[in-house]
Amino acid sequence: MKKASKVFTVLMFAFLFAPIAILLLFSFNEARSLSVFSGFSLKWYRELFRDTETLKTVRNTLVLAVCAAGISTVMGTAAAVGIHRMRNKYLRSALDMVTNIPMIDPDIITGISMMLMFVFVSRLLGLANSLSFATLLIAHITFCLPYVILQVLPKLRQMDASLPEAAMDLGCTPWGAFWKVELPELMPAIVTGMIMAFTLSLDDFVISYFTTGTGFQTLPIRIYNMTKKTVTPDMYALATLIFFVILALLLLSNLTDREDSQRIRAARKARRAAKGRPPMSPRRQRALYTAGGALVLAALTASLIFAVTETDDKPQVLNVYNWGEYISDGSEGTMDVVAEFERWYQRQYGRPVQVNYTTFASNEDMYAKLSSGAVSYDVIIPSDYMIARMISEDMLLPLDLANIPNAQYISEDFQGLYYDPEGVYSVPYAYGIVGIIYNANVVDPADAGTWDLLWNEKYAGQILQFNNSRDAFGTAMYRAGLDVNTTDRAVWDDALDSLMEQRGVVRSYVMDEVYNMMEAGEAAVAPYYAGDYFTMLDAQAPTVDLRFYYPDPTNFYIDAMCIPACCQNKTLAETFINFMLSAGPAIANAEYTYYASPNTLVYEDPDYIDEMGPEAMEILYPGWDDFARQYNAYAYRNLDAETLDYINTLWETLKIN
Amino acid sequence: MNDRSRRRSLVTGVTSAPYQLWAVLFILVPLAFVAYYAFTDNAFHFTTANIARFFTATSPVTDAGGSPVQVRTYMVIAWRSVKLAVIATAVCLLLGYPLAYIISRAPAKVQKTMMTLIMIPMWMNFLIRTYAWMTILQDTGILNNLLAALHLRRVHIIGTQTAVIIGMVYDYLPYMILPLYSIMAKMDHRLIEAARDLGCAPAGVLRRVILPLSMPGVVNGVTMVLIPSISTFYISQKLGDGMFFLLGDAIEGQYVAGNLHFAAAIAFILMVALLAAMALMRRLTGKYTYGGAAA
Amino acid sequence: MAKKIIELKNITKSFDGQVVLDDICLDIYDNEFLTLLGPSGCGKTTLLRLIGGFETPDAGDILFLGQRINDLPPHKRNVNTVFQRYALFPHLSVFENVAFALRERKAPREEIEARVEEMLSMVALTGFENRSVTRLSGGQQQRVAIARALVGRPRVLLLDEPLAALDLKLRKDMQQELKKIQKATGVTFVFVTHDQEEALSMSDTIVVISEGRIQQIGASTDVYNEPKNAFVADFIGESNIVDGVMLADRSVSFSGHTFDCVDGGFERNEPVDVVVRPEDVDIVPEDKGMLRGVVTSVTFMGVHYEVIVDIGGFKWMIQTTDFVDVDERIGLYIEPDAIHIMKKSEYSGLYGDYASFSNEFDELSDAESEAEE
Repeated sequence: MKKASKVFTVLMFAFLFAPIAILLLFSFNEARSLSVFSGFSLKWYRELFRDTETLKTVRNTLVLAVCAAGISTVMGTAAAVGIHRMRNKYLRSALDMVTNIPMIDPDIITGISMMLMFVFVSRLLGLANSLSFATLLIAHITFCLPYVILQVLPKLRQMDASLPEAAMDLGCTPWGAFWKVELPELMPAIVTGMIMAFTLSLDDFVISYFTTGTGFQTLPIRIYNMTKKTVTPDMYALATLIFFVILALLLLSNLTDREDSQRIRAARKARRAAKGRPPMSPRRQRALYTAGGALVLAALTASLIFAVTETDDKPQVLNVYNWGEYISDGSEGTMDVVAEFERWYQRQYGRPVQVNYTTFASNEDMYAKLSSGAVSYDVIIPSDYMIARMISEDMLLPLDLANIPNAQYISEDFQGLYYDPEGVYSVPYAYGIVGIIYNANVVDPADAGTWDLLWNEKYAGQILQFNNSRDAFGTAMYRAGLDVNTTDRAVWDDALDSLMEQRGVVRSYVMDEVYNMMEAGEAAVAPYYAGDYFTMLDAQAPTVDLRFYYPDPTNFYIDAMCIPACCQNKTLAETFINFMLSAGPAIANAEYTYYASPNTLVYEDPDYIDEMGPEAMEILYPGWDDFARQYNAYAYRNLDAETLDYINTLWETLKIN
Repeated sequence: MNDRSRRRSLVTGVTSAPYQLWAVLFILVPLAFVAYYAFTDNAFHFTTANIARFFTATSPVTDAGGSPVQVRTYMVIAWRSVKLAVIATAVCLLLGYPLAYIISRAPAKVQKTMMTLIMIPMWMNFLIRTYAWMTILQDTGILNNLLAALHLRRVHIIGTQTAVIIGMVYDYLPYMILPLYSIMAKMDHRLIEAARDLGCAPAGVLRRVILPLSMPGVVNGVTMVLIPSISTFYISQKLGDGMFFLLGDAIEGQYVAGNLHFAAAIAFILMVALLAAMALMRRLTGKYTYGGAAA
Repeated sequence: MAKKIIELKNITKSFDGQVVLDDICLDIYDNEFLTLLGPSGCGKTTLLRLIGGFETPDAGDILFLGQRINDLPPHKRNVNTVFQRYALFPHLSVFENVAFALRERKAPREEIEARVEEMLSMVALTGFENRSVTRLSGGQQQRVAIARALVGRPRVLLLDEPLAALDLKLRKDMQQELKKIQKATGVTFVFVTHDQEEALSMSDTIVVISEGRIQQIGASTDVYNEPKNAFVADFIGESNIVDGVMLADRSVSFSGHTFDCVDGGFERNEPVDVVVRPEDVDIVPEDKGMLRGVVTSVTFMGVHYEVIVDIGGFKWMIQTTDFVDVDERIGLYIEPDAIHIMKKSEYSGLYGDYASFSNEFDELSDAESEAEE
């Protein structure tokens, strides 16, 4: 290799591995930050192994990838053989074309198309739970199949057509000839196809995002949904582990496996010949088959077991749908609330219960899945305006408060709120108020105090804004004293003008990226929720001094526990809600999320007050005496579809500028 | 038809039948649903309004001179998506082509190792990889700290078009290298010697022999990079600071907003456009093959 | 008379509406070396594949020892094939390739080892057992293919242009060796080739095929000396074929001259094809010749010269050891027994004129037809 090409190669590999090196490094970081390395620690690895929900999604991802790769390999190989032998030219070229479609279609189209079909069919047949492991598996098999076929088919075409004939000539049945001669020849292509299928399935996010359903979540979706708090570093630990496992596997396969490249194979054969070992004895051949067969069998059994455990679950199943990172999950010595519930239930009722806990990234995301009618959940935790919308669309069931005695501990401030005036459909879980976070090392505290800080040209290029139409428009409307729930388009146009004016000073439109940017000092001003300020405070860089204030007026929001109409076990769901309101879990959740709790068992608990400290208590619980009035005046309400569509259009206008 | 050829066609039918059924049920029918949703309203009555909206919806923007003008919203988004995807694809080709060539000329053992190394990043979750790029590229990120340590000028990349392109190039580069490598590894090196023998300078060999021979790999690679780049929505959100609204963002946004029919319409138009582009590319390059991306 | 092993009765076969074999009738006898000879695309390989069981006839019957085997699949036929490019299993060693048929029959290990060794020693490949077949030379691969096909002791061995891929020297050696193996094993060989020299030197019986029909069946010498029509005459050996008229028994007129000949049984004044082999023409001074002409080209071939002579616009080829010059006017003398008379056929007029003859073209087209197959 010439020097120039050597340098180029090294640079390219540096480029390819740079982010992986970062992940590797920061997986050992003591702090939560991905930008500031504060010390070596194995903490995130411990966290990872304690995080049962994440481990479950890892298992799900692997099961899905193994099943998808196994089934698509068997079906794809059979299909390739069939297509290869096909005499009918038209059928063959038609199949060729169809095979190319999933490769030409972007993932997002494949995902949407499958989702539309599954949803439509499930509505037609009245199936409640049609989006599930099965649909995900179907989708994955579908996009894996072409890769297998397009690996095997050229190999078949290259293969000397007289090879199987020679085998038959020597006494093999056609079936025997396929197994003994054609298959070993195709094996490298099949294995390559299978590895590709496995890789694609493992890494897929987009298609899974659209086709996933009740109770089965894969790792990429879990990561995507970590919007309430941002991606946790145990994900880096996980990525690092995956990296080393793969490295080990590849090294191992390099030592034992047959290679694909013709040239390497020839060289290897020459070496074997020199050693006087046959290239492949029947035993070796059998071993290869056994390995391949074992993998396929494993895939089939895994999918079978999965199907069985999915449908034939003896313990009762509770499907909970919540925001990502919105429950105490056992990390850093906290309570694993979901596991605790399962244990508590077993103790209390002497029967097992299995909680399928899945997450969503936004209210709209959750609504899209639920309104499709293709999923089935027992407990959901949406925000206020979404609750109002769902009540109006008969998507929620009234709660039987007799089953939720702990609801009595909810503060009286939370009664008579607009979204559920009678308090029959929901029990508040957490609430928050939008405030402004700023870096006092950059921002002059004299400029703070109002919404104007977000428009202040002094800090141009350092200001963050919500990457979400309703919240972004909200900041502009509160600033101008406009009604955030108006249906008057002219008012929204005014708000757009204000956002357009702001665009020049905005650094980024962000959701959970806000954590990283504020902690690292990448940006100096951001509107976000009070609780999140404390999360950031924990991880701020030494050069950063974060402060917080409430502009007036501002947004109040409440997330509340509800039971959707598709609930399969209402009593169990109510038992779960009641459990979540009891002191232990409620305090654990409040401490984990840093959000304010409406539960008196929490905010009047001395240990909790002590743990949070006076500053946090003051910010989280500002103690408005007329909470309900303020809330009803300023919280977001459900808007009609036309207005929402109009806002969406305005949002796109802002984005294309 | 006699017994045995009947049996043979039966075998053919049986082995490919599951796939044929699968292809119809899960490839063709879903696409039909995209078309169906694209051409219907919420009550499933036929309408072309969704399609028309894509082409006619306008938004006020401020032009370079600061005066407001009306532009076609989705044309602007589509144009931006195409532009970024084409640039990303071109960069992938420029980087991937020489790398694939270098690898294909390396000793057999090195080839295998290098291709493995190229595959490895694909096994790490792409969301996490993209996230990692965020921390590398941001103003206080690793790259800028490195530059500062070397007493060089800091660069502002995050949130720019460059960042989005870097993200796309990073995520999809292996899809360019794999098909290119697989075709170059198969190339008969005597052809290169023959060209040299006939008086071709190295540049001429590249232009007149290697390039035409590797054309199917180029077509494959370009297809496999262009398509995901044009429809991504995660990369633009994370690395573009939310400033770059692409077709993928538009589809996802409409889906989340509950406008399934308009989301389907955008998807439908994108699909038709891509099919047309592929057909055009096939015509321009003569021969084409998909897949064949061997590791 | 030896026993009939295979009988083909009125076999017809077409692909995509194109007739490849047309009413073929052929008996193959025990212990004979039979060659199917014809240009590429004549249907000889298809005929072989029918016997091997890889194709089924559209009409007609294939009998094996008197039993109809039309629908018997290949693995149930006591017939083995040496494939054109050998079709050795690349994932198996030499030993395993040869042992394939025995393993298929689940023969005991000792027997497999003994028989494989026997076969390998027969083809002189002892010691190559553990080699990968992809690391063998063309000749060695050829021998493995033969050993593999013979190990199961078939009654008939089918060989589909097995020597086509070998270079000339190796091909000559293998021809000898094949003949030897055939004699040693007593297996009936059905050999497909487009190389007439190969066919002449190896075969007991030659079947000349053209355009899906058998043109002639006979021993090598018969086919050479008594070609049935212009196609056979031209395809086997070199021939000058001219139009003639049979004046009476043993008297034929062509090229403006009346010749004595040895053939008879034609009608008076029947138009016929006259074949004269180039080596049977003597060059004499112009005034002593039965025919006169001008030499247009002379090529030195080693043992002889190949001379092209223009006689009234028809170009004759003559092989002679005497040297003549281009543009020299010469006379030709032909003995009566050198003149072979054939009935007119559809091939009349298509062959036998050396007007466009060129050695290079000949070789070129040979190479091409090899590549095609």
